[in-house]
Amino acid sequence: MAQFAALLRKDNQPVRYLVVDDSVFARKNLMKMIEMFGGEIAGEAGDGLTAIAEFNRTKPDVVLMDITMPQMEGIEAVERIVRQHADARIVMVSSVGYQENILAALQKGAKHFVQKPVKPEVLYEILRYVLSDDPTAAGAPVALAGEHRS
Amino acid sequence: MNYLPDERAAELRGFFFESAAEVLQALNEAGLELEARPADEEVLRRVRRAVHTLKGDSAACGFSSISEFAHEIEDVLTPQVAQLHGVRLAEVVLAAADAFEALLRACQNQTAPPPLNNILAMARELIAGPVPETSAAKDAVLPAKFAWTEYEHLMIAEAVHRGEAVFNVALRIDPNSLMRAAAFQLVRNVLHAIGTVIALRPEDNIAAATVEIIEAAIATQQTEDKIAARCKIPAIVSETLVSRISEANTPEQELLADLLEAQNVAVSSKVFDPENGDLATQAAGASAAVAAVSDSSLRVDAARIDSVMNLVGELIIGKSMLNRALSELERRHARDPVRAKLADAVAFQTRVLDELHKCVLKIRMVPVEQLFRRLPRVVRDVAKQCGKDVALELSGQNTDLDKGILDALAEPLMHLVRNAVDHGIEPADERVSSGKPARGTVYLNAYHQGTQVVIEVRDDGNGIDLRRVRAHAVQKGLLKAEEAARLSDQDALNLIFESGFSTAEEVTAVSGRGVGMDVVRTVLDRLKGTVNISSLPGRGTTIQLRAPLTLASIQTLLFRIGGRLFAIPLSSVVEITRINERDISRVDQREVLRLREQILTLIRLEHFTKIHAVAGEQPAKTKSFVIVIGAAEKRFGLVVDSLVGEEELVIKALPTEIVSSDLVSGASILGDGTVVLILNVPAVLSRLTRTTPLGAIA
Repeated sequence: MAQFAALLRKDNQPVRYLVVDDSVFARKNLMKMIEMFGGEIAGEAGDGLTAIAEFNRTKPDVVLMDITMPQMEGIEAVERIVRQHADARIVMVSSVGYQENILAALQKGAKHFVQKPVKPEVLYEILRYVLSDDPTAAGAPVALAGEHRS
Repeated sequence: MNYLPDERAAELRGFFFESAAEVLQALNEAGLELEARPADEEVLRRVRRAVHTLKGDSAACGFSSISEFAHEIEDVLTPQVAQLHGVRLAEVVLAAADAFEALLRACQNQTAPPPLNNILAMARELIAGPVPETSAAKDAVLPAKFAWTEYEHLMIAEAVHRGEAVFNVALRIDPNSLMRAAAFQLVRNVLHAIGTVIALRPEDNIAAATVEIIEAAIATQQTEDKIAARCKIPAIVSETLVSRISEANTPEQELLADLLEAQNVAVSSKVFDPENGDLATQAAGASAAVAAVSDSSLRVDAARIDSVMNLVGELIIGKSMLNRALSELERRHARDPVRAKLADAVAFQTRVLDELHKCVLKIRMVPVEQLFRRLPRVVRDVAKQCGKDVALELSGQNTDLDKGILDALAEPLMHLVRNAVDHGIEPADERVSSGKPARGTVYLNAYHQGTQVVIEVRDDGNGIDLRRVRAHAVQKGLLKAEEAARLSDQDALNLIFESGFSTAEEVTAVSGRGVGMDVVRTVLDRLKGTVNISSLPGRGTTIQLRAPLTLASIQTLLFRIGGRLFAIPLSSVVEITRINERDISRVDQREVLRLREQILTLIRLEHFTKIHAVAGEQPAKTKSFVIVIGAAEKRFGLVVDSLVGEEELVIKALPTEIVSSDLVSGASILGDGTVVLILNVPAVLSRLTRTTPLGAIA
């Protein structure tokens, strides 16, 4: 397995992740990668509602969020988390077939997306990119041209 | 003299197109040589240099489609490939030259670029081993256009004016990205997070599904590096290009900059090369190119020379006005000392004006080589298509002629050369069996003759089969069988220039391009030139194009018919003779004149036009003049009432809605304000042959 330089927060602490997926296997897979990247699992969730609760409880640096889940879909979870925490870094995880959902999630404020099956090197780059942003510089998500924009 | 910034950029672009045409020519020539000597590394280096120059120059002008293509082609041009594939590489080079030409045209006319898949596939095939396509694509300059609308430009200019930093940003969506729309949305999010997005292409997610490159103009507080970093979105964006829109890019600032700086620096500052991010080398390259030219020559828009030319034309009219006034003065006050002074002054002014006129004419003159250079490639291609072996021999390349005429002759000449190879030269076995070398030759020659330039296309083929021409003309209904039989050989040959004499049975992919021989004649008629054809059975065909050296002014002979003033180009006047009515005899319902040993067909202009003795003149004059006109091989006598004299006329084109007749090719104004119509000799002659049957031609 390829070696990855640890991804750290600005204060040199490990990055804390919230992993949201209804498949335990998928969660384990992602968590293994996070360990490889020197990250720390702040919490797990199997559905959108739990994800929101976990987010509020753990205040993670990054959320890895599956798009299709029971109870509450990923998109809605994204919308509700971002509404409360504008600077939340949410990376959508999804198979190719769900482009519409990812598009919607991005419009609701997700920061990035990664295709399933997740390749560690791709996820690593995406996380590095997402973490490198300056939260103060990050603007609000953008709606489509022609749609409402305040 | 207003120097709009656009004009400057356009000027540079114009310079690019011009120099690119030259480079392209060099590429074609080198390609042909490469075909002959595939192993010659020096030739290969020349090909490479040409492609490299195109790459650099096009990039400097922002024509990324060309520079990218050049880059791909450059990859193939290695000695290894040349050794491995030899002639096939030459094929690629020549095909690439064609593709470059099409690309250039597309850029020039701002039309969609031509498809390049074939040639690129050909090129990649040649690259031995698995040279990854992506590496070439990665190195290629990101083809960003930043073609913002006027409104967006205004917004950008305003933002810059407010002191904001505005950047042009281009991103290439990773070709491996399967979710384009989502990717585009993400890019939008990132761009909006960076700053205020002033302009964005594509504009919506639907269009984004098919688009590979996203372009934006963003006003932001962030640094260029920071923007570039934010735009490198992993798994989404494979390539980025960020360039600051400096103040010099906004119109008003650019105007200032243009006045202060050398033109090339301002223009090339717009260019950004992500490959090495090196602006300086490009700017230096561009300025070096400009400098190289400005050393000894100056490139000027032809329109500017034309306006100088027009002014000189007006001066010439002014000159003849002065002369007229002077001769009137002479009549009235012959002894007045002021008259002599004035005469001296006028003479001096005339001399200078003549010199000036000559100089201006010279500016427009270009060597015919510019025309000839394109032809080796034409011969090679056509010969290849017909499976013939044909050589091209050029001479007289240094003959000068007017640029406008040169451009007009390009198409006819191309057609003639194509015809010579396709129809003129026989297949090799046929040539050998008739005792000729297997390889046919097409000769091109150019020379001056009087005030005309002659361009000759000669082939050593089988000549034109007059029986077939006659039969064909009859079959096409151009004339009756007995007329055809009566036709002199020369007239029969000339039939091929008749419109309607389509050589349909011989139309091939090569010559059947919709340009018939009649077009050749039409062009020459328009130029007030002529086409001569001669053909020897079994020996070949020669076609001569004769055109005036310049279109702007001509030496003419002025004469009167029915009280009206006409002019005829002096170049078509062979001689002038005086006749009595009784010298005229009638043959075949037409008037002829025996002049020394020749029988001349007489033309009376009043027969075509409705000039019926205006001022109540006596039509039945016993004595009149005959101007012997030579056009092509024919001689005709034009019967005129009186001769007025020679005059240099500045031709003013006549709008077609004023003069519906093609018998008149232009008009001019004399010094006293009289309007003269200039006869279009070829049209008059062809009208004659149409209204009366041919015959009795010397």
